Amino acid sequence: MPAPISVSVCVRNLVRRYGSVEALRGISFEVSPGEIFGLLGPNGAGKTTALECVLGLRRPDSGSVLIAGMDALARPGVAKELIGAQIQAATLQDRITPRRVLRLFAAFYRNPAPVEGLIEKFGLSEAADARFDSLSGGQRQRLFLALAFVNNPGLVVLDEPTAGLDPRSRRELHDIIVDMRRSGRTVLLSTHDLDEAHRLCDRIGILDRGMIVATSRPDDLIAATAARSTVVVRTVRPLDPARLASLTGVESCRQEAGRWILVTSNINETLFGLARCVELGANEFVDLQVIRPSLEEVFLSLTGRPWADSTRGEP
Amino acid sequence: MRGGRGNLRGVFQHFLLSLELNLRSKQAIAYGYLVPVLFLVAFGSVFRGETPALLGEMGQILTITILGGACFGLPTSLVAERERGIWRRYRLLPVPTSFLVGGVLAARLVIVISAVALQIALARLAYGTPFPAHLLLAAAGVFIVTASFLGLGLLIAALADDVPAVQAVGQCVFLPMILIGGVGIPLIALPVWAQRVSGFMPGRYAVDLLQLSYGKAPGNNEGYFNGLALAVIGVSAAVSGAKLFRWEAGRRISRSAWVWLGAALSAWIITGVAAALTGRLAPRQPPNAGYEAVSENQIAAITYDDLPGDAEFISRLSRPFNDGGEAEGVGPFAAKLKAWPPGRTSDAGQSTRNLLSVAVIADASRDQYEGEIARLVYNDLRSNLQDEQLCRVLAWIVLYPQEGTVITSAPELGLERQYTERFIRERTDLYARKFLGRLRGKIRD
Repeated sequence: MPAPISVSVCVRNLVRRYGSVEALRGISFEVSPGEIFGLLGPNGAGKTTALECVLGLRRPDSGSVLIAGMDALARPGVAKELIGAQIQAATLQDRITPRRVLRLFAAFYRNPAPVEGLIEKFGLSEAADARFDSLSGGQRQRLFLALAFVNNPGLVVLDEPTAGLDPRSRRELHDIIVDMRRSGRTVLLSTHDLDEAHRLCDRIGILDRGMIVATSRPDDLIAATAARSTVVVRTVRPLDPARLASLTGVESCRQEAGRWILVTSNINETLFGLARCVELGANEFVDLQVIRPSLEEVFLSLTGRPWADSTRGEP
Repeated sequence: MRGGRGNLRGVFQHFLLSLELNLRSKQAIAYGYLVPVLFLVAFGSVFRGETPALLGEMGQILTITILGGACFGLPTSLVAERERGIWRRYRLLPVPTSFLVGGVLAARLVIVISAVALQIALARLAYGTPFPAHLLLAAAGVFIVTASFLGLGLLIAALADDVPAVQAVGQCVFLPMILIGGVGIPLIALPVWAQRVSGFMPGRYAVDLLQLSYGKAPGNNEGYFNGLALAVIGVSAAVSGAKLFRWEAGRRISRSAWVWLGAALSAWIITGVAAALTGRLAPRQPPNAGYEAVSENQIAAITYDDLPGDAEFISRLSRPFNDGGEAEGVGPFAAKLKAWPPGRTSDAGQSTRNLLSVAVIADASRDQYEGEIARLVYNDLRSNLQDEQLCRVLAWIVLYPQEGTVITSAPELGLERQYTERFIRERTDLYARKFLGRLRGKIRD
């Protein structure tokens, strides 16, 4: 398969309304060539609508979408030559086979990827001639990804790519997405999985109620929050609460189910002090955990709402 | 267009895939091929006595076949794929959706034409029905009817939210055409009102067009009119269907849908009005059925409100006179008329038509005795026929203006100007109703 040309994405002031509902309220973001950019947000935040505008499935009420510097709204046919996509709520005919559908879709492009190569790359060799309705969930997902690669795209757009997958399929898919970046492709994906966003994305844009409330590297977003780290510790002999509360950086401490939970603003100093305390008391660690702040805290600090509340009812 | 060759290759692949999937679908085979065969068997059972069997019904049988494939098969397949999100996936391709819809329509055209060919072959094998006498006309007819009904199918697909809705909307189109549109029940077996209503439905034109290729010699204008009517209805439906096409489930049809639906339906109305204005909606009778078959109900349903007055420019009629018209100066004409052979044929219906033609020619040529000549014709008819018989004859002429022949010029009576047959038939209706109204007491003399 020839190396793809990485393409950039530039979205500016995108607005999309459905009747009186404003799904996108002037969102802007940029994705650099070869970057994995994630749109992170709860259901109904506008992720799918944003991706559909980029893909040309939906026309925004206002705003612009540039793909590789080209106006994708004015030239959707040309833009679609550069994009491979895996979208939600799209399926295939029951009786079609992976080989047949890959050949069909490849026929629409000027420079398609070899179908047999895609079948091999996405692990579909055994199922290549099986009916679509007989494929497992993982095989279907791989087939949709293979379809996204059928035109050897420079930009791959994935809408909730791991939704509904079992852990093994999810891990496989993560590897494939990372491999996309390795092969020089630009990846734009949406997810409501915080862990997935943190693990996969070079940068994320947090989307809430049709607006992007923050865009940065996941670690930078976490570092920028006022959230604190937490140390969970259990020892052989009891610890002195007063001693724990006086450790450098500790802002609060409480005991739960035989474990001490320390919230600290200075994780290094707190751990160092805790180790000395245990050593001096001739005590011994049974359990020691450090819980760093996550994107969940970032979302809470940016929106004022807990992530769990926003995603309640999601799969 | 960039990538145009790739697009066309893809569209062709999609066309082949649509064909392949259709042929592998049990449901599509049942609706597309088996159900039409059931209709063939049903028609064969009912019309078995004809010789050759089904020759007069092939237009209906083929129309039903095409209706099923185009108005049910196409929208069912399109809407089912839309519901599953298949068209949503197609939208990501670098090709306009219209190209893909075109490929689906082309595939459906092939499917429907193959079903039609199967029907023709089965009719030949099972009932000995001859092949169409005019193959080129048959091919053109099948193509036009199929294309027109595919336009309707596209509109149904655009309007229906889901597959059950396709069945509901499809039946709204299918059933009226089957029952009162001349498709399921032959026009000649329908009451006059239903025959007139059928002119506002495409099924009637489809049956007539397809039946033409089984008829004697083609070449009359009916074929062109039927083809044009189907083209107007099909194109308007296809344009409306394309405008309202929905590629994803859950997307509501816009308010403008009513406008486009209205545009599509107005084509039906325009076609019906055009057919009525050109005399094509005149009721049809079973072969050899004359004025004797006219019922009292049919006579009672004839109206007289729109007739011009007797002294007006058109269809003048003088006051009654009893002395043979001597006093009015038409005595010599009355004598000639009594001896005029076309007014004395053995067929009372045809004689009456001929005599009414004389009144029309005198009226149209502005003869100085036009009103008196019309009165002479009326008197002559009453002296030759019993009132009850004359009522039936006049009603038959009103109800079936295209039956029999008319006189377009009568130089032997001094009426030398020539008029078109269509004109004479139209004006004949006025005199026939004026006379009938008088006989029935609806018009005072």
